[in-house]
Amino acid sequence: MSGIIDIKDLCFRYSQENEELDLSHIDLHVNEGEWLAVIGHNGSGKSTLAKAIDGLIAPEAGEIYIDGEKLTDQSLWNIRKKIGMVFQNPDNQFVGADVEGDVAFGLENQGIEREEMHARVKEALEVVGMQDFAQHEPVRLSGGQKQRVAIAGVLALRPKIVIFDESTSMLDPEGRMQIISLIRQLNKKEGFTVLSITHDIDEASLADRVIVVDDGKIIDDSLPQDLFQKGNQLIEIGLDVPYPQRLKGELAQRGIDLPQEYMDEGSLVNWLCRSILKN
Amino acid sequence: MSIHIEKLNYVYQSGTPFSHRALTDVSLDIADNTYTAIIGHTGSGKSTLLQHLNGLLKPTSGSLTVENNKITAETKNKELNDLRRHVGFVFQFPEAQLFEETVLKDIAFAPKNFGKSDEEAEQIAVKMAKLVGLPDSVLQKSPFELSGGQMRRVAIAGVLAMEPQILVLDEPTAGLDPKGRLEMMEMFDRLHKEQHLTIILVTHQMNDVANYADHVIVMEKGRVIADSQPAEIFSDPEWLKAHHLGLPQTTAFAAKLQQQGVPFKTLPLTEAQLAAQLADMMNEQGGGLRG
Repeated sequence: MSGIIDIKDLCFRYSQENEELDLSHIDLHVNEGEWLAVIGHNGSGKSTLAKAIDGLIAPEAGEIYIDGEKLTDQSLWNIRKKIGMVFQNPDNQFVGADVEGDVAFGLENQGIEREEMHARVKEALEVVGMQDFAQHEPVRLSGGQKQRVAIAGVLALRPKIVIFDESTSMLDPEGRMQIISLIRQLNKKEGFTVLSITHDIDEASLADRVIVVDDGKIIDDSLPQDLFQKGNQLIEIGLDVPYPQRLKGELAQRGIDLPQEYMDEGSLVNWLCRSILKN
Repeated sequence: MSIHIEKLNYVYQSGTPFSHRALTDVSLDIADNTYTAIIGHTGSGKSTLLQHLNGLLKPTSGSLTVENNKITAETKNKELNDLRRHVGFVFQFPEAQLFEETVLKDIAFAPKNFGKSDEEAEQIAVKMAKLVGLPDSVLQKSPFELSGGQMRRVAIAGVLAMEPQILVLDEPTAGLDPKGRLEMMEMFDRLHKEQHLTIILVTHQMNDVANYADHVIVMEKGRVIADSQPAEIFSDPEWLKAHHLGLPQTTAFAAKLQQQGVPFKTLPLTEAQLAAQLADMMNEQGGGLRG
């Protein structure tokens, strides 16, 4: 079955002088409507993979298909319309004098009619919950609000795939939770295919599937709950250890017997309450 | 080296129609060899306060005293140099300020600038590289060939090379992966404990506040709204919630257990504290059953 993203034996290196490949024999299949989290420590190659998918770098070998179309120099511009990218720092992405103007920028670039443009900007701002800020200056918004405006700018272009490249890593905790729930809404309600490159355990836990990139290779492809069982190994592959796993480790060190399987916060709270409060 | 701030007010663009008050009646004390966390939202005045600490801004009224240097509205800019030598600043993304050909030269730049000979500056640089955990093998490399985490260490070594007694850290781990973040926080903790640096950390990470700080200052709308210890600040989840501030993960988890009836005398701040309290409760329970 062909997916929205199909990558076959992709290899890439930044410089011919590099002995090692920066992306090494990547095979990846992503279904339409799927949320895929991509994790890996800094320098593992996960952002390079995202750049390859958007055609920002040219592979040395292998093929990339987006929505059934092979990525080539000719198809590049058409394919980029299907992919929106949201980066780490929203401050680096602002061009407009007000929120509206900023969201409209990409549309102006594509020569969209004025009337259509107004409708799309309004719709995009509504999706991210920023319609009341249309006339505001971007610099005066909070981090989470700025990132929502950046996302609206991407949505206005009506992509099929949205790639979030560590888009929550520079936000304060409130902003982080806002963006994570917005990603969830875009995926579950609006039907966008989502690729989220992240170190954030809360973000990764909501994905349908998680791949782990290390040394330019995909070394794991699993469900979030299966991955989280790995406990302290997670920190080596660029994720935080989920809190319940960390606490289980501390309790085990103090001689407490705990169930082996992965427990989320709720189930560990219940287990502890039963153990402590039994009559 | 201690800091004493008294009734400090700061107004941006004072005397113009755009005048905007950023700090109001800020009074606080930071004792020598302490680890202070400053928390609060974007726009709460944290950054404005920090900029006073190394003389980037001068108070509109009130004063700031670092050891024996008293800074007021009247202080001449030239007199701020001493202050700058004592207070090392690590801004967000400090690696953006690297520029030299080699790691060693980059770290040696500041001491040379402050009048050390080439040889002395290089000796200091080697020492600081070791202090931040950079391997000798990178010293002759270009800083731009290094990973993000290592570049940041180079930049921090460059700040330490000025041999400050106070280190101000503005979200120093932003953008690092979890492992890099942990290593970096452990490094600052070591500098605090072994080099006796006074540390001032601005952060959104309540876990870091719980794990490392011994003093917390909470800012909101340009005022200090709390000045206390982590255990006390985090003992009041309702107050924190009202001010849109989070809890450390451990304290939040313990609060959930407490709601279900688990009797905590005081809410724990770290995993180790929580695990110890839970283990005690379970062992008591086990003892009861056996008896």
